[in-house]
Amino acid sequence: MTRREAVGALGAAALATLPASAFPNGGSQLAPRPDARVPSRVGLVLCSDYGPETLREALRAGWKASRPPDVRGKRVVIKPNLADFSPDRPIHTDARLVEALVEHLKALEARTIVLAEGPPHNRDTELLFRRTGFEAVAKRQDIALIDLNYDDSRPVRNPNPRASILREFHVPETVLSAEVLISVPKMKTHRFAGVTLSLKNMFGILPGMIYGWPKNVLHWNGIPQSICDINGTVKTHFSIIDGVVGMEGYGPILGTARKAGVLVMGDSALAADATAARIMGVEPGLVEYMALAQRAGLGSLRGQDISVVGERVERVRTEFALDPEFAFMRPQRSR
Amino acid sequence: MSSATLPRTLGFIRAGQNEDGGWGYRPGGASWVEPSAFCAMALLAGGDRAAAGRGLALLKACQSASGGMGVSPKDQGGGWMAYAALLAYHAFGAEAEAARLIGWILGLEDASRRFAPADIQSIARTYRYDASIPGWPWTPGTTAWVEPTAMFILALTRAGVASTEPRIQAGLRLLIDRRVPSGGWNFGNPFSKAHELEATLLSTSLALAALSAAGTPATKPAVEAGLRFIEARLAGDVSTVSLAWTLIALLSIPAGDRLVPGVSARLAGLAGTDGGFRGNLFESALAFLALEDASRIIRVPGKGP
Repeated sequence: MTRREAVGALGAAALATLPASAFPNGGSQLAPRPDARVPSRVGLVLCSDYGPETLREALRAGWKASRPPDVRGKRVVIKPNLADFSPDRPIHTDARLVEALVEHLKALEARTIVLAEGPPHNRDTELLFRRTGFEAVAKRQDIALIDLNYDDSRPVRNPNPRASILREFHVPETVLSAEVLISVPKMKTHRFAGVTLSLKNMFGILPGMIYGWPKNVLHWNGIPQSICDINGTVKTHFSIIDGVVGMEGYGPILGTARKAGVLVMGDSALAADATAARIMGVEPGLVEYMALAQRAGLGSLRGQDISVVGERVERVRTEFALDPEFAFMRPQRSR
Repeated sequence: MSSATLPRTLGFIRAGQNEDGGWGYRPGGASWVEPSAFCAMALLAGGDRAAAGRGLALLKACQSASGGMGVSPKDQGGGWMAYAALLAYHAFGAEAEAARLIGWILGLEDASRRFAPADIQSIARTYRYDASIPGWPWTPGTTAWVEPTAMFILALTRAGVASTEPRIQAGLRLLIDRRVPSGGWNFGNPFSKAHELEATLLSTSLALAALSAAGTPATKPAVEAGLRFIEARLAGDVSTVSLAWTLIALLSIPAGDRLVPGVSARLAGLAGTDGGFRGNLFESALAFLALEDASRIIRVPGKGP
């Protein structure tokens, strides 16, 4: 059984049934190719805990160290990772980080801030939003909280000429209306993808009412291929990876907590992911979707093409335990 | 539901109707089949036949030449929201359209035939379910899961398809096979490697409703364990949509009778001052039907055919 078949148990004839009408490719949220001549910059900052002051300082430092978007007067959509909820395991992006980010964006005079997620397999988003604390954050901060699984959507053409069988994606209006889209994933291992960071987090923008729960159409298409194509279609303007406490082992749901004590921030999701992978003790070139993303022109994952500002990767490296199936992702010297 | 809330909920639903006759999940949103079907049923139950009829007309316009039903007027394919349209067709007595939709639903394939024997063994080892049992998927050709299987069983049986129908029998086997050993259901993976995965109130209520609708005795261990799970979970925080489906399941199972008053009161208490539930049109219609006329969705003992 191939990996693609195995995760499908978790589907590509369905694609033929999706409506193929207008392809409104236009607008800032759709993905232009990055300029290969400009090195990516990643802000890597220490963040020892989820205390409000610690988070505020780390976000401020990381924002300064990286190449952040201009959010003043803009509609900003924050996409955290809410794969599920457990009181005992750090599955989701910590709501305290999200709240600190909202306050940071307000201070920068963002016009509108929206918090949006489409959880993958549990359709009870109301309860998930409440248990994870996102509902309370939205109320306290007076911002909209959107369940992307039931958001109105439009088909957008997949511009990758070497795309997988997914020729279009149904992208929620909330995402299409974003002038700035910020992906805020949790630093986790993943039982099918190896690791899940900013690029993989974008699975959650696709509406369950079109793709199912779990978003099985994407599984049958191939997880690496889908990750690559979604990110080639929808632009993430900035990534903030929650590595304060991540998850190692049998992630993204059933693993165990692993404290890395960092935030990884950058305008290139691929560069941020590659840096986070290195922190986790994973060679990014051995993560299939990252290698695919590089080949598809979504940026570079090579260390020499990424300027890491702030802490040094070597200093904060925190080897995350990997499911034995993914032991091959370790850099050769540490195997 | 109090006599004052009831007309307000219907008013909220009526005010949310789109010009095309359908409803979105949110007021002002595009029309989708699931909220359109449930809102039309709620208005029909409330006696507003004109507005309900416009909703029915939209559903009919969504049905393709193959008999299938997509998720929206723009979708000429087919998918999971067909369960809701079938319930609405039955409620309105739209027999010809229902017959075509039933034929399409019974022919809707999942991925069970795409798996090689080795795949099936691998899935059995990792997730501990039998991937060769066919059920219903969210989208054609993909893996069958608990919730769409339960929804299609509910709709088919409500529309009069005998529970001896082979696809329904297979779907029931799937539900039993996918149950979480300690009680209840989740989206459809009882295990992942050595880890038992948690059941959820929403999946459990839908599965129990489907089992009950197909005549599964309440004394069957899976049903008993499911009811115990529901009772335990009701002690904590629950959502509107879960509570509504829980009430629908309990109304159809005699053993669930004693929980009905408490769940009804709790659900009714979630109505907003405008009569809507969380500002969501589908949830408002679902809650209204659960509280006022669940027999549109499931056979309720003592409430007619």
